[in-house]
Amino acid sequence: MDLVIVGFGVVGQGVAEVIQQKREFLHDAFRKKTRIVGVFDSSSYETNKTGLDPSALIKRKASKNKVGKRRYDGDAWRILGALEYDTLIEVTPTNIVSGEPGFTNIATALKSGKNVITSNKGPLALRFRELSDAARKNNVQLRFEATVGGAMPIINLSRELLRGEKILSIRGILNGTCNFILDRMMEEGLPFAQALREAQDMGIAEKDPSYDIDGDDSACKVAILANAIFGLDKKYSDVKKTGIRGVTEDAISLAEEEKKVIRLIGEISPKRLEVAPRLVRIGHPLSIGGTRNIVQIHTDLAGEITVAGKGAGKYETASAILSDLVALLNENKKSRVIRR
Amino acid sequence: MKVNADLRLKDVPGQLVFALEPISTNDGNIVGVVHHRDVVIGGHITVNVTFEVRSDRMLQRILDTWKERDIDVARMGSLYETFPIECLLVGDISSQELNNIMEEIEAMEDMESVDVRYSVSAASDGKAAIVFGKVRKKEAVERVERLLEERAADGGFLLVRGLGD
Repeated sequence: MDLVIVGFGVVGQGVAEVIQQKREFLHDAFRKKTRIVGVFDSSSYETNKTGLDPSALIKRKASKNKVGKRRYDGDAWRILGALEYDTLIEVTPTNIVSGEPGFTNIATALKSGKNVITSNKGPLALRFRELSDAARKNNVQLRFEATVGGAMPIINLSRELLRGEKILSIRGILNGTCNFILDRMMEEGLPFAQALREAQDMGIAEKDPSYDIDGDDSACKVAILANAIFGLDKKYSDVKKTGIRGVTEDAISLAEEEKKVIRLIGEISPKRLEVAPRLVRIGHPLSIGGTRNIVQIHTDLAGEITVAGKGAGKYETASAILSDLVALLNENKKSRVIRR
Repeated sequence: MKVNADLRLKDVPGQLVFALEPISTNDGNIVGVVHHRDVVIGGHITVNVTFEVRSDRMLQRILDTWKERDIDVARMGSLYETFPIECLLVGDISSQELNNIMEEIEAMEDMESVDVRYSVSAASDGKAAIVFGKVRKKEAVERVERLLEERAADGGFLLVRGLGD
Protein backbone atom coordinates (compact mmCIF):
# COMPACT_ATOMS: atom_id res chain seq x y z
CA MET A 1 0.00 0.00 0.00
CA ASP A 2 1.43 3.35 -1.04
CA LEU A 3 1.05 6.14 1.51
CA VAL A 4 1.36 9.88 1.43
CA ILE A 5 1.84 11.66 4.73
CA VAL A 6 0.74 15.28 4.90
CA GLY A 7 2.00 16.96 8.06
CA PHE A 8 5.40 16.09 9.40
CA GLY A 9 5.38 17.40 12.95
CA VAL A 10 5.49 15.16 16.00
CA VAL A 11 2.60 12.97 14.82
CA GLY A 12 3.79 12.67 11.20
CA GLN A 13 7.27 11.70 12.31
CA GLY A 14 5.80 9.19 14.77
CA VAL A 15 3.81 7.63 11.93
CA ALA A 16 6.89 7.39 9.69
CA GLU A 17 8.87 5.80 12.53
CA VAL A 18 6.13 3.28 13.30
CA ILE A 19 5.70 2.34 9.63
CA GLN A 20 9.39 1.56 9.47
CA GLN A 21 9.29 -0.31 12.79
CA LYS A 22 6.28 -2.40 11.69
CA ARG A 23 7.37 -2.95 8.10
CA GLU A 24 8.01 -6.67 8.51
CA PHE A 25 4.82 -7.25 10.46
CA LEU A 26 2.77 -5.46 7.80
CA HIS A 27 4.42 -7.40 5.00
CA ASP A 28 4.07 -10.78 6.74
CA ALA A 29 0.43 -10.17 7.70
CA PHE A 30 -0.79 -8.73 4.42
CA ARG A 31 1.73 -9.89 1.82
CA LYS A 32 1.97 -6.38 0.49
CA LYS A 33 4.64 -3.69 0.72
CA THR A 34 3.67 -0.63 2.72
CA ARG A 35 5.65 2.33 1.41
CA ILE A 36 5.70 6.04 2.02
CA VAL A 37 5.69 7.51 -1.50
CA GLY A 38 5.12 11.14 -0.57
CA VAL A 39 5.57 13.36 2.45
CA PHE A 40 4.73 17.00 3.07
CA ASP A 41 5.41 19.50 5.83
CA SER A 42 4.14 23.08 5.73
CA SER A 43 6.73 24.32 3.23
CA SER A 44 8.50 21.38 1.60
CA TYR A 45 7.77 17.95 0.20
CA GLU A 46 9.37 14.86 -1.22
CA THR A 47 8.04 12.08 -3.41
CA ASN A 48 9.40 8.78 -4.69
CA LYS A 49 7.33 6.11 -6.44
CA THR A 50 9.56 3.34 -5.11
CA GLY A 51 9.32 4.51 -1.53
CA LEU A 52 11.04 7.00 0.78
CA ASP A 53 13.27 6.03 3.69
CA PRO A 54 11.44 7.04 6.93
CA SER A 55 14.71 7.40 8.89
CA ALA A 56 16.18 9.71 6.27
CA LEU A 57 13.00 11.84 6.32
CA ILE A 58 13.13 12.19 10.10
CA LYS A 59 16.85 12.98 10.00
CA ARG A 60 16.38 15.63 7.34
CA LYS A 61 13.51 17.22 9.24
CA ALA A 62 15.65 17.36 12.39
CA SER A 63 18.68 18.87 10.68
CA LYS A 64 17.10 21.19 8.08
CA ASN A 65 13.66 21.69 9.61
CA LYS A 66 12.32 20.65 6.21
CA VAL A 67 11.18 17.17 5.26
CA GLY A 68 11.82 17.55 1.54
CA LYS A 69 14.08 19.26 -0.96
CA ARG A 70 11.20 20.61 -2.96
CA ARG A 71 9.46 23.81 -1.82
CA TYR A 72 5.78 24.63 -2.25
CA ASP A 73 3.22 27.19 -1.12
CA GLY A 74 1.71 25.04 1.68
CA ASP A 75 -1.31 23.88 -0.36
CA ALA A 76 -0.52 20.17 -0.45
CA TRP A 77 -3.83 19.40 -2.17
CA ARG A 78 -2.60 21.05 -5.39
CA ILE A 79 0.22 18.50 -5.60
CA LEU A 80 -1.72 15.53 -4.18
CA GLY A 81 -3.88 15.34 -7.31
CA ALA A 82 -0.86 14.53 -9.47
CA LEU A 83 0.51 11.78 -7.22
CA GLU A 84 -0.09 8.05 -7.43
CA TYR A 85 -0.83 6.54 -4.05
CA ASP A 86 -3.49 4.51 -2.19
CA THR A 87 -3.94 6.21 1.16
CA LEU A 88 -3.47 9.70 2.49
CA ILE A 89 -2.37 10.05 6.11
CA GLU A 90 -3.46 13.58 7.00
CA VAL A 91 -1.83 14.74 10.22
CA THR A 92 -1.64 18.51 9.90
CA PRO A 93 -2.49 20.49 13.07
CA THR A 94 -6.14 20.84 14.10
CA ASN A 95 -7.77 24.11 13.11
CA ILE A 96 -11.22 24.50 14.68
CA VAL A 97 -12.02 27.77 12.93
CA SER A 98 -11.86 26.73 9.27
CA GLY A 99 -10.72 23.12 9.42
CA GLU A 100 -7.95 23.97 6.94
CA PRO A 101 -5.64 22.84 5.49
CA GLY A 102 -6.88 19.43 6.64
CA PHE A 103 -10.35 19.68 5.13
CA THR A 104 -9.21 20.39 1.57
CA ASN A 105 -6.41 17.82 1.75
CA ILE A 106 -8.85 15.13 2.90
CA ALA A 107 -11.60 16.14 0.48
CA THR A 108 -9.18 16.16 -2.45
CA ALA A 109 -7.91 12.69 -1.64
CA LEU A 110 -11.40 11.23 -1.17
CA LYS A 111 -12.67 12.76 -4.40
CA SER A 112 -9.77 11.21 -6.29
CA GLY A 113 -10.62 7.79 -4.89
CA LYS A 114 -8.00 7.53 -2.15
CA ASN A 115 -8.52 6.24 1.36
CA VAL A 116 -7.79 8.70 4.14
CA ILE A 117 -6.53 8.19 7.69
CA THR A 118 -6.40 11.28 9.86
CA SER A 119 -5.68 12.48 13.38
CA ASN A 120 -6.91 15.97 12.50
CA LYS A 121 -10.02 16.85 14.52
CA GLY A 122 -10.83 20.14 12.79
CA PRO A 123 -12.29 18.86 9.49
CA LEU A 124 -14.35 16.20 11.28
CA ALA A 125 -15.62 18.46 14.05
CA LEU A 126 -16.71 21.07 11.49
CA ARG A 127 -17.69 19.26 8.26
CA PHE A 128 -18.03 15.57 9.08
CA ARG A 129 -21.02 14.88 6.88
CA GLU A 130 -19.44 16.36 3.74
CA LEU A 131 -16.36 14.20 4.17
CA SER A 132 -18.17 10.98 5.05
CA ASP A 133 -20.51 11.50 2.06
CA ALA A 134 -17.49 12.04 -0.20
CA ALA A 135 -15.93 8.81 1.08
CA ARG A 136 -19.14 6.87 0.46
CA LYS A 137 -19.67 8.37 -2.97
CA ASN A 138 -16.13 7.49 -4.07
CA ASN A 139 -16.23 4.06 -2.46
CA VAL A 140 -13.22 4.70 -0.26
CA GLN A 141 -12.67 4.81 3.46
CA LEU A 142 -12.21 7.74 5.81
CA ARG A 143 -10.72 6.50 9.09
CA PHE A 144 -10.03 8.67 12.11
CA GLU A 145 -9.41 6.59 15.25
CA ALA A 146 -6.58 8.96 16.23
CA THR A 147 -8.89 11.97 16.48
CA VAL A 148 -10.37 10.82 19.80
CA GLY A 149 -8.44 9.50 22.76
CA GLY A 150 -5.05 8.79 21.16
CA ALA A 151 -4.16 5.18 21.85
CA MET A 152 -7.53 4.48 23.51
CA PRO A 153 -9.63 2.56 20.97
CA ILE A 154 -13.10 4.03 20.91
CA ILE A 155 -14.26 4.72 17.35
CA ASN A 156 -13.29 1.41 15.75
CA LEU A 157 -14.40 -0.45 18.89
CA SER A 158 -17.84 1.14 18.74
CA ARG A 159 -18.28 0.99 14.94
CA GLU A 160 -16.80 -2.41 14.27
CA LEU A 161 -16.56 -4.69 17.31
CA LEU A 162 -19.80 -3.43 18.91
CA ARG A 163 -21.65 -3.24 15.61
CA GLY A 164 -24.60 -5.35 16.73
CA GLU A 165 -25.10 -3.36 19.91
CA LYS A 166 -27.29 -0.31 20.26
CA ILE A 167 -25.07 2.30 21.82
CA LEU A 168 -27.18 4.30 24.22
CA SER A 169 -24.66 6.80 25.53
CA ILE A 170 -20.97 7.54 25.79
CA ARG A 171 -19.27 9.60 28.44
CA GLY A 172 -15.74 10.03 29.56
CA ILE A 173 -12.56 11.98 30.07
CA LEU A 174 -11.36 13.08 26.65
CA ASN A 175 -8.64 15.56 27.55
CA GLY A 176 -5.57 14.51 29.50
CA THR A 177 -4.40 18.07 30.17
CA CYS A 178 -7.56 19.01 32.07
CA ASN A 179 -7.48 15.76 33.96
CA PHE A 180 -3.90 16.32 35.01
CA ILE A 181 -4.70 19.85 36.26
CA LEU A 182 -7.81 18.76 38.20
CA ASP A 183 -5.96 15.80 39.66
CA ARG A 184 -3.04 17.96 40.82
CA MET A 185 -5.43 20.48 42.37
CA MET A 186 -6.91 17.73 44.49
CA GLU A 187 -3.80 15.71 45.26
CA GLU A 188 -1.61 18.66 46.19
CA GLY A 189 -4.21 21.28 47.08
CA LEU A 190 -2.83 23.54 44.33
CA PRO A 191 -4.72 26.56 43.01
CA PHE A 192 -5.79 26.26 39.38
CA ALA A 193 -3.12 28.69 38.06
CA GLN A 194 -0.32 26.79 39.76
CA ALA A 195 -1.51 23.38 38.57
CA LEU A 196 -1.74 24.81 35.05
CA ARG A 197 1.81 26.22 35.27
CA GLU A 198 3.06 22.83 36.43
CA ALA A 199 1.34 21.18 33.44
CA GLN A 200 2.95 23.74 31.11
CA ASP A 201 6.40 23.18 32.63
CA MET A 202 6.00 19.44 32.08
CA GLY A 203 4.92 19.93 28.47
CA ILE A 204 1.43 18.58 29.21
CA ALA A 205 -0.30 21.92 28.58
CA GLU A 206 0.38 24.33 25.70
CA LYS A 207 1.70 27.87 26.24
CA ASP A 208 -1.79 29.01 25.29
CA PRO A 209 -3.86 26.40 27.12
CA SER A 210 -7.29 27.77 26.11
CA TYR A 211 -8.04 25.03 23.58
CA ASP A 212 -7.75 22.41 26.31
CA ILE A 213 -8.96 24.13 29.47
CA ASP A 214 -11.93 25.86 27.87
CA GLY A 215 -13.22 22.49 26.71
CA ASP A 216 -12.73 23.05 22.93
CA ASP A 217 -10.62 19.94 22.44
CA SER A 218 -13.13 17.76 24.29
CA ALA A 219 -16.03 19.39 22.43
CA CYS A 220 -14.41 18.49 19.07
CA LYS A 221 -14.13 14.88 20.22
CA VAL A 222 -17.74 14.82 21.45
CA ALA A 223 -18.90 16.12 18.04
CA ILE A 224 -16.81 13.48 16.23
CA LEU A 225 -18.18 10.66 18.42
CA ALA A 226 -21.74 11.94 17.99
CA ASN A 227 -21.33 11.88 14.20
CA ALA A 228 -19.30 8.69 13.84
CA ILE A 229 -21.09 6.50 16.35
CA PHE A 230 -24.58 7.95 16.70
CA GLY A 231 -24.93 8.93 13.04
CA LEU A 232 -25.73 12.52 13.91
CA ASP A 233 -24.80 15.59 11.90
CA LYS A 234 -23.23 17.78 14.58
CA LYS A 235 -20.57 20.41 14.57
CA TYR A 236 -18.20 21.34 17.33
CA SER A 237 -20.32 24.44 17.97
CA ASP A 238 -23.39 22.25 18.67
CA VAL A 239 -21.70 20.90 21.80
CA LYS A 240 -22.57 22.73 24.98
CA LYS A 241 -19.26 23.35 26.66
CA THR A 242 -17.97 24.57 29.99
CA GLY A 243 -14.26 24.49 30.72
CA ILE A 244 -12.37 24.14 33.98
CA ARG A 245 -11.11 27.72 34.52
CA GLY A 246 -13.78 28.33 37.15
CA VAL A 247 -12.88 25.32 39.30
CA THR A 248 -11.45 26.60 42.58
CA GLU A 249 -9.58 25.03 45.49
CA ASP A 250 -12.75 25.40 47.58
CA ALA A 251 -14.76 23.51 45.00
CA ILE A 252 -12.19 20.71 44.90
CA SER A 253 -12.02 20.38 48.69
CA LEU A 254 -15.79 20.58 49.17
CA ALA A 255 -16.17 17.79 46.59
CA GLU A 256 -13.49 15.77 48.35
CA GLU A 257 -15.34 16.07 51.67
CA GLU A 258 -18.24 14.37 49.91
CA LYS A 259 -15.83 11.68 48.57
CA LYS A 260 -16.01 13.12 45.07
CA VAL A 261 -13.56 14.48 42.53
CA ILE A 262 -14.18 16.98 39.76
CA ARG A 263 -13.51 15.75 36.24
CA LEU A 264 -14.11 17.31 32.81
CA ILE A 265 -16.58 14.89 31.25
CA GLY A 266 -17.72 14.70 27.66
CA GLU A 267 -21.18 13.19 27.25
CA ILE A 268 -23.11 12.02 24.21
CA SER A 269 -26.63 10.81 24.92
CA PRO A 270 -30.07 11.41 23.43
CA LYS A 271 -30.51 14.28 25.89
CA ARG A 272 -27.05 15.76 25.99
CA LEU A 273 -24.13 16.72 23.82
CA GLU A 274 -21.98 18.33 26.40
CA VAL A 275 -18.58 18.93 27.90
CA ALA A 276 -18.62 20.11 31.51
CA PRO A 277 -16.90 19.64 34.85
CA ARG A 278 -18.80 16.98 36.80
CA LEU A 279 -18.72 15.52 40.30
CA VAL A 280 -17.50 11.94 40.15
CA ARG A 281 -17.47 9.53 43.08
CA ILE A 282 -13.96 8.54 44.18
CA GLY A 283 -13.47 4.95 43.01
CA HIS A 284 -15.77 5.39 39.99
CA PRO A 285 -13.95 4.45 36.75
CA LEU A 286 -14.20 8.05 35.55
CA SER A 287 -12.41 9.33 38.66
CA ILE A 288 -8.97 8.34 37.32
CA GLY A 289 -6.13 10.82 37.67
CA GLY A 290 -3.16 11.69 35.48
CA THR A 291 -3.23 12.31 31.75
CA ARG A 292 -5.03 9.18 30.66
CA ASN A 293 -8.32 9.25 28.77
CA ILE A 294 -11.20 6.98 29.71
CA VAL A 295 -14.59 6.38 28.16
CA GLN A 296 -17.67 4.42 29.20
CA ILE A 297 -19.88 3.11 26.41
CA HIS A 298 -23.37 2.19 27.54
CA THR A 299 -24.96 -0.41 25.27
CA ASP A 300 -28.24 -2.30 25.22
CA LEU A 301 -26.77 -5.82 25.46
CA ALA A 302 -23.28 -5.60 26.90
CA GLY A 303 -24.20 -2.89 29.41
CA GLU A 304 -21.28 -0.70 30.37
CA ILE A 305 -17.95 -1.07 28.56
CA THR A 306 -15.02 0.97 29.80
CA VAL A 307 -11.85 1.67 27.82
CA ALA A 308 -8.86 3.70 28.92
CA GLY A 309 -5.53 4.66 27.44
CA LYS A 310 -2.98 7.36 26.85
CA GLY A 311 -4.82 10.18 25.16
CA ALA A 312 -1.97 11.92 23.39
CA GLY A 313 1.66 11.58 22.39
CA LYS A 314 3.75 10.73 19.37
CA TYR A 315 3.57 6.94 19.54
CA GLU A 316 0.08 6.79 21.07
CA THR A 317 -1.35 8.74 18.14
CA ALA A 318 0.76 6.72 15.69
CA SER A 319 -0.65 3.57 17.30
CA ALA A 320 -4.21 4.69 16.50
CA ILE A 321 -3.19 5.55 12.93
CA LEU A 322 -1.54 2.15 12.60
CA SER A 323 -4.79 0.47 13.70
CA ASP A 324 -6.60 2.28 10.88
CA LEU A 325 -3.89 1.32 8.42
CA VAL A 326 -4.14 -2.32 9.47
CA ALA A 327 -7.93 -2.16 9.03
CA LEU A 328 -7.46 -0.85 5.47
CA LEU A 329 -4.87 -3.50 4.65
CA ASN A 330 -7.21 -6.12 6.04
CA GLU A 331 -10.06 -4.90 3.83
CA ASN A 332 -7.70 -4.94 0.90
CA LYS A 333 -6.63 -8.49 1.65
CA LYS A 334 -10.24 -9.65 1.96
CA SER A 335 -11.19 -8.09 -1.35
CA ARG A 336 -8.14 -9.69 -3.01
CA VAL A 337 -9.27 -13.08 -1.70
CA ILE A 338 -12.84 -12.53 -2.94
CA ARG A 339 -11.59 -11.47 -6.40
CA ARG A 340 -9.57 -14.68 -6.68
CA MET B 1 -37.54 11.28 53.16
CA LYS B 2 -40.06 8.90 54.67
CA VAL B 3 -38.53 6.28 56.95
CA ASN B 4 -40.03 3.17 58.50
CA ALA B 5 -38.24 1.52 61.44
CA ASP B 6 -38.77 -1.27 63.97
CA LEU B 7 -37.42 -0.27 67.39
CA ARG B 8 -36.92 -2.66 70.32
CA LEU B 9 -37.67 -0.92 73.61
CA LYS B 10 -37.51 -2.00 77.23
CA ASP B 11 -41.01 -2.85 78.42
CA VAL B 12 -41.12 -0.13 81.07
CA PRO B 13 -43.26 3.05 81.30
CA GLY B 14 -41.91 6.14 79.48
CA GLN B 15 -39.85 4.21 76.91
CA LEU B 16 -42.08 5.08 73.95
CA VAL B 17 -41.80 8.84 74.55
CA PHE B 18 -38.08 8.36 75.15
CA ALA B 19 -37.79 6.72 71.69
CA LEU B 20 -39.98 9.15 69.75
CA GLU B 21 -38.66 12.37 71.23
CA PRO B 22 -35.40 12.43 69.10
CA ILE B 23 -37.54 12.43 65.95
CA SER B 24 -39.39 15.61 66.89
CA THR B 25 -36.30 17.36 68.28
CA ASN B 26 -34.63 16.83 64.89
CA ASP B 27 -37.54 18.37 62.95
CA GLY B 28 -38.90 14.96 61.98
CA ASN B 29 -42.60 14.40 61.47
CA ILE B 30 -44.07 11.26 63.00
CA VAL B 31 -46.56 9.76 60.57
CA GLY B 32 -47.53 6.58 62.44
CA VAL B 33 -46.68 4.39 65.42
CA VAL B 34 -47.68 0.75 65.92
CA HIS B 35 -46.98 -0.39 69.45
CA HIS B 36 -46.75 -4.21 69.80
CA ARG B 37 -47.30 -4.33 73.58
CA ASP B 38 -48.52 -7.91 73.52
CA VAL B 39 -45.25 -9.42 72.16
CA VAL B 40 -42.59 -9.25 74.86
CA ILE B 41 -39.28 -10.96 74.06
CA GLY B 42 -36.49 -10.84 76.62
CA GLY B 43 -38.16 -7.94 78.42
CA HIS B 44 -38.36 -5.93 75.17
CA ILE B 45 -41.31 -4.92 73.00
CA THR B 46 -41.29 -3.85 69.33
CA VAL B 47 -42.53 -0.48 68.10
CA ASN B 48 -42.94 0.22 64.40
CA VAL B 49 -42.56 3.93 63.64
CA THR B 50 -42.98 5.80 60.36
CA PHE B 51 -41.63 9.33 60.16
CA GLU B 52 -40.54 11.98 57.67
CA VAL B 53 -37.16 13.59 57.98
CA ARG B 54 -35.67 16.51 56.03
CA SER B 55 -32.18 15.19 55.31
CA ASP B 56 -29.79 12.28 55.75
CA ARG B 57 -27.96 14.36 58.32
CA MET B 58 -31.09 14.73 60.46
CA LEU B 59 -31.74 11.00 60.15
CA GLN B 60 -28.20 10.29 61.28
CA ARG B 61 -28.69 12.52 64.34
CA ILE B 62 -31.82 10.57 65.25
CA LEU B 63 -29.97 7.26 64.86
CA ASP B 64 -27.10 8.57 66.99
CA THR B 65 -29.50 9.61 69.77
CA TRP B 66 -31.21 6.20 69.71
CA LYS B 67 -27.81 4.58 70.04
CA GLU B 68 -26.93 6.80 73.01
CA ARG B 69 -30.26 5.90 74.62
CA ASP B 70 -29.65 2.19 74.09
CA ILE B 71 -32.64 1.88 71.78
CA ASP B 72 -32.13 -0.99 69.37
CA VAL B 73 -33.09 -0.42 65.70
CA ALA B 74 -34.16 -3.90 64.56
CA ARG B 75 -35.00 -2.84 60.97
CA MET B 76 -35.09 0.37 59.02
CA GLY B 77 -35.90 1.27 55.44
CA SER B 78 -36.82 4.13 53.20
CA LEU B 79 -40.35 3.85 51.90
CA TYR B 80 -39.62 5.19 48.42
CA GLU B 81 -37.01 4.72 45.76
CA THR B 82 -35.09 7.94 45.69
CA PHE B 83 -32.65 9.54 43.25
CA PRO B 84 -29.68 11.59 44.39
CA ILE B 85 -29.12 15.21 43.50
CA GLU B 86 -25.70 16.71 43.95
CA CYS B 87 -24.50 19.94 42.46
CA LEU B 88 -21.60 22.17 43.25
CA LEU B 89 -21.91 25.91 42.75
CA VAL B 90 -18.67 27.83 42.42
CA GLY B 91 -18.19 31.59 42.33
CA ASP B 92 -19.34 34.75 44.02
CA ILE B 93 -22.72 33.60 45.30
CA SER B 94 -24.27 35.59 48.12
CA SER B 95 -25.87 33.69 50.99
CA GLN B 96 -29.15 35.44 50.17
CA GLU B 97 -28.99 34.12 46.60
CA LEU B 98 -28.20 30.64 47.85
CA ASN B 99 -31.10 30.78 50.35
CA ASN B 100 -33.44 31.77 47.53
CA ILE B 101 -32.23 28.87 45.42
CA MET B 102 -32.68 26.44 48.32
CA GLU B 103 -36.20 27.70 48.98
CA GLU B 104 -37.10 27.21 45.32
CA ILE B 105 -35.72 23.67 45.36
CA GLU B 106 -37.49 22.80 48.62
CA ALA B 107 -40.78 23.98 47.14
CA MET B 108 -40.43 21.70 44.11
CA GLU B 109 -42.56 18.59 43.73
CA ASP B 110 -41.13 15.17 44.57
CA MET B 111 -38.38 16.50 46.82
CA GLU B 112 -37.49 14.04 49.55
CA SER B 113 -34.65 15.93 51.21
CA VAL B 114 -32.26 18.72 50.33
CA ASP B 115 -29.34 20.27 52.13
CA VAL B 116 -26.48 22.65 51.41
CA ARG B 117 -22.91 22.99 52.66
CA TYR B 118 -20.65 25.98 52.10
CA SER B 119 -16.92 26.35 51.78
CA VAL B 120 -15.10 28.66 54.17
CA SER B 121 -12.93 30.46 51.63
CA ALA B 122 -12.01 34.09 52.12
CA ALA B 123 -11.81 34.72 48.38
CA SER B 124 -15.29 35.74 47.27
CA ASP B 125 -15.03 34.46 43.70
CA GLY B 126 -13.58 31.13 44.78
CA LYS B 127 -16.44 30.22 47.12
CA ALA B 128 -18.25 26.97 46.68
CA ALA B 129 -21.47 25.43 47.94
CA ILE B 130 -22.63 21.89 47.48
CA VAL B 131 -26.35 21.18 47.22
CA PHE B 132 -27.30 17.59 47.85
CA GLY B 133 -30.39 15.62 48.58
CA LYS B 134 -32.86 13.09 47.28
CA VAL B 135 -35.87 13.20 45.04
CA ARG B 136 -38.61 10.67 44.41
CA LYS B 137 -38.67 10.91 40.60
CA LYS B 138 -35.89 11.01 38.04
CA GLU B 139 -37.56 13.96 36.34
CA ALA B 140 -37.17 15.92 39.56
CA VAL B 141 -33.37 15.60 39.24
CA GLU B 142 -33.63 17.25 35.83
CA ARG B 143 -35.89 19.99 37.23
CA VAL B 144 -33.41 20.79 39.98
CA GLU B 145 -30.48 20.78 37.56
CA ARG B 146 -32.38 22.99 35.13
CA LEU B 147 -33.11 25.50 37.87
CA LEU B 148 -29.47 25.52 38.97
CA GLU B 149 -28.30 25.88 35.35
CA GLU B 150 -30.53 28.94 34.94
CA ARG B 151 -29.35 30.48 38.21
CA ALA B 152 -25.71 29.75 37.34
CA ALA B 153 -26.11 31.41 33.95
CA ASP B 154 -27.86 34.44 35.50
CA GLY B 155 -25.40 34.76 38.37
CA GLY B 156 -22.27 34.02 36.35
CA PHE B 157 -21.12 31.16 38.54
CA LEU B 158 -19.98 27.69 37.65
CA LEU B 159 -22.29 24.70 38.07
CA VAL B 160 -20.73 21.27 38.53
CA ARG B 161 -23.41 18.57 38.30
CA GLY B 162 -23.14 15.08 39.69
CA LEU B 163 -22.70 12.14 37.38
CA GLY B 164 -25.89 10.50 38.63
CA ASP B 165 -24.26 7.22 39.65
